[in-house]
Amino acid sequence: MELEKLRETAAEIAARDDVKYLIGWKKGSYGYRVAPAFAEDAEGASDFIFSPLCTANLATYLTLVEKLPLPRGQEPDKRKVALMVKGCDSRAVTQLLVEKGIHREEVIIIGCPCPGMVDPDLLNKKYPETEETAELKWDNDGFVIVRDGEETKVPREELLDEKCQLCRYPNPVVSDIMLDDPVKAWEPVEDEGVKEIEEKAVEGRWDYWQQEFSNCIRCYSCRNVCPLCYCQDCILDRQNPDWVYRSVNFSENTAFNIARAFHLAGRCIECGECERVCPANIPLGKINRKLAREVRDKYGFEPGLDPDAEPFQASYKPDDPEDFIL
Amino acid sequence: MTDKPKIGVYICHCGINIASTVDVETVEEYALKLPNVEVARTYSYMCSDPGQALIKEDIKEQGLNRIVVASCSPRMHETTFRKAIQETGLNPYFLEMANIREQCSWVHEETEEATAKAKKLITASVAKVRLLEALESKEVDAEPAALVIGAGIAGIQAALDIADAGFKTYLVEKTPSVGGRMAQLDKTFPTLDCSACILTPKMVDCASHPNIELLSYSEVEEINGFIGNFDIKVRKKARYVDFDKCTGCGDCAKECRVADRFPSEFDQGMGNRSAIYLPFPQAVPAKYTIDPENCLYLKRGKCGKDPKCQEVCGAGAIDFDQQDEFVEFKVGAIIVATGFDPFNPSRKPEYGYDDYPNVITGMEMERLVSASGPTGGKVLINNGEEEIEPKEVAFIKCVGSRDESVGNEYCSRVCCMYTAKQAHLIREKLPDANIRIYYMDVRAFGKGYEEFYDRVRRENVRYIRGNPSEIFKRGNKLIVKAENTLTSTPVEDEVDLVVLGVGLEPRAEMREIMDLLRLSQSGDRFFLEAHPKLRPVDTATEGVYLAGCCQGPKDIPDTVAQAKGAASSAMIPLARGKVTIDAQVAEVNEATCRGCGFCVEICPYTAIEMVTVNRFGHEIEVARVNEALCKGCGSCSAACLSDSVQPKSFRDRQILPQIAALGVIK
Repeated sequence: MELEKLRETAAEIAARDDVKYLIGWKKGSYGYRVAPAFAEDAEGASDFIFSPLCTANLATYLTLVEKLPLPRGQEPDKRKVALMVKGCDSRAVTQLLVEKGIHREEVIIIGCPCPGMVDPDLLNKKYPETEETAELKWDNDGFVIVRDGEETKVPREELLDEKCQLCRYPNPVVSDIMLDDPVKAWEPVEDEGVKEIEEKAVEGRWDYWQQEFSNCIRCYSCRNVCPLCYCQDCILDRQNPDWVYRSVNFSENTAFNIARAFHLAGRCIECGECERVCPANIPLGKINRKLAREVRDKYGFEPGLDPDAEPFQASYKPDDPEDFIL
Repeated sequence: MTDKPKIGVYICHCGINIASTVDVETVEEYALKLPNVEVARTYSYMCSDPGQALIKEDIKEQGLNRIVVASCSPRMHETTFRKAIQETGLNPYFLEMANIREQCSWVHEETEEATAKAKKLITASVAKVRLLEALESKEVDAEPAALVIGAGIAGIQAALDIADAGFKTYLVEKTPSVGGRMAQLDKTFPTLDCSACILTPKMVDCASHPNIELLSYSEVEEINGFIGNFDIKVRKKARYVDFDKCTGCGDCAKECRVADRFPSEFDQGMGNRSAIYLPFPQAVPAKYTIDPENCLYLKRGKCGKDPKCQEVCGAGAIDFDQQDEFVEFKVGAIIVATGFDPFNPSRKPEYGYDDYPNVITGMEMERLVSASGPTGGKVLINNGEEEIEPKEVAFIKCVGSRDESVGNEYCSRVCCMYTAKQAHLIREKLPDANIRIYYMDVRAFGKGYEEFYDRVRRENVRYIRGNPSEIFKRGNKLIVKAENTLTSTPVEDEVDLVVLGVGLEPRAEMREIMDLLRLSQSGDRFFLEAHPKLRPVDTATEGVYLAGCCQGPKDIPDTVAQAKGAASSAMIPLARGKVTIDAQVAEVNEATCRGCGFCVEICPYTAIEMVTVNRFGHEIEVARVNEALCKGCGSCSAACLSDSVQPKSFRDRQILPQIAALGVIK
């Protein structure tokens, strides 16, 4: 994608009268960092980028906005929010449309066909970042790392993020403007993470998750970053009734994580943000992908593809399989 | 609640139903020790008058403000006890029932275990009852009018009864004439009344009744609302004939360029009609209809120089520009009387219905023996070569009934008798014919049925116990191959005519009605009644009632009886003029609702809608429950991710302590 074209389009949209702001990515404060950016005018969009480090799913900002009480007589700001999306991000937007979390006329969707993101941890381990000018680009068949003006070519497989290896929708499924021609979708690899757990006996799975959930510090980063966890008043925060106690222990951690996973069944669009932000490195993607797979195999349903679809958790067919009901 | 809870626990023996397994005295002692329990009593039948009096006295004298009745399922007696409590002035919803019968004494054998469980269930109910809130049921006006869908004998009878009682009734019929299946029948068993003779007066009545608005050739498009207040939209299909001008003279049908070319629906395709037609001579209303599928002018825009019908119609009634019209009205109750489809024997290819013209269905036989039928009542049949009067006639029963291979396990309840009746009619017309009836069982259960069956057997009709395996042709005869299971001998009978005693099936289009009214099907795919024994004409949708074969196969007497039952049930809200709306419904917490609409999608009663509210200057969408439609089933609550919708009396804060009291959770 031409950086110039991106910035030109971004500036044009951010400058529009009917646009409140444009959400995109820009280079972060140091090293490989990329930060979400909000441009309220053309000037603000002048440093927007799209690179293999733009992993963050910006759709979460659509529902994160706090609607503060307005002084009497003041009209709410009804201008649109513009948003840059990759394939996975666009599915989050679509799912939000299905759930009426946002309305179509409230957003402008700028599609970024995505050749795949890098795994930031892997990248840092193999090619430690330097303070100033570290950044990444796509090359024909891989990535190019730029550190202190020096370019290193790396094959795609070496650094491609796990969620991108599994990706089946690299191109935005919904958009108003596309910044580039669609990329050719690739053959997704087998989901080794889910397979590994499926191969375990029930006790083995329990032991595995006991180990993982014991590390959870209940910081709720997973919930806060998730574009589809947007209840203003989350039941897991409530005290009357107290569904999940605040104590950080295996029992309550498990209750929290399982409740979240079930709330996302048939809704999770596998953007992998929960796992990426988890400070305890809990492989949350495995639970969500497992449930997504169950929903896909048993009900033939995939969330975030059709804005007019019936929400999975609220739909019912007389011949739904019930073989998992004891 | 501001008052300190003062709880009374009433433990029912239910004769020996509970007391023989649960040690009620021990449970009583135990209950007295539970927090805030002031009174605990046992009694042989708590639901009896003296039982209820116990509760009422204690409320008055001891100032109880919460009642736990430990007895049967709340489905059985919750209303009974609510009424009793209400009589004392206490809010009727301050009641909790502990089901120690169905969920305890009936499922346990050991007294010790059953008693322990009864104690737990009561502990849980006591924990919940203190948290219950006072609820008020509401009353809304009911529109004093009814809608009847389907104008067969069931719909006609129901409409006549409601109209006679003085209520406006809309009778909607899909086909051009009322009458339904009964109009097609020749004679009716067991009395051999002429079907048309007893039906036609009713047909005429319902067309001329001042309280009935007959909407023939019409279909219900939309139904919204709830008991007492349904909004109905009906599509009146274009007849292409001016209803008021048409005199029913029939000149048009005679002169039609494609006269007598198309199989007549009324004659089961055994006779023909024109593109403009009256379904049958006694049709009501006696107005002609153009079939747009077959009319040359409507199909191609051209019919000779000028359409013949238009030319000959003295009244100038033909109107090719006619469009469908919509009628909208309001009713308080709805009766569904959409009838049945006869089983299509093509699904039993071994009987050769598609292959041989002399294999016919019972419905076709009705037309064949009818004096108004295509042969004028003569039993003439084409055996593939020539038209003959059959000498050997075979009837096969249970075609498409009691047959798992076609998915119908049920008995169609009319085939035994209509087969016997048709055998009798053939005997009358063909005294020398050999008549055989192949059967699995003979079920002659109604008034006068067994006597009629005996009479037919005495008329030299042979009943052969065995279901034929195959019908095939040999020469100009049909061979019925079967096993006589009484003598264990194989039979191969040569016959001229086979009549298949086809069963009754749910209507193919019943899905449309189900979607309109949110009705359910029972296992046999007919409409599901609210209770198979005690609420046989009600449905799960209040204000919607069932009549006739749409609820299950029935003969005419049963259909008429059910139609009258449905009519009287439907008249309850109409006569009262008001309907009571149960207070135990779901409620949305609009402050936490995120507006996703999952509850709207999942609600089986379309009781939830999205509304826009102003929240501190912002317009946001939230869910709102229509209390008149809500049944308090809780589906919405299960679907809600933010726990923002909960049924009253079943809120989390009410049921979690109940569960906790069982010792399941902390």
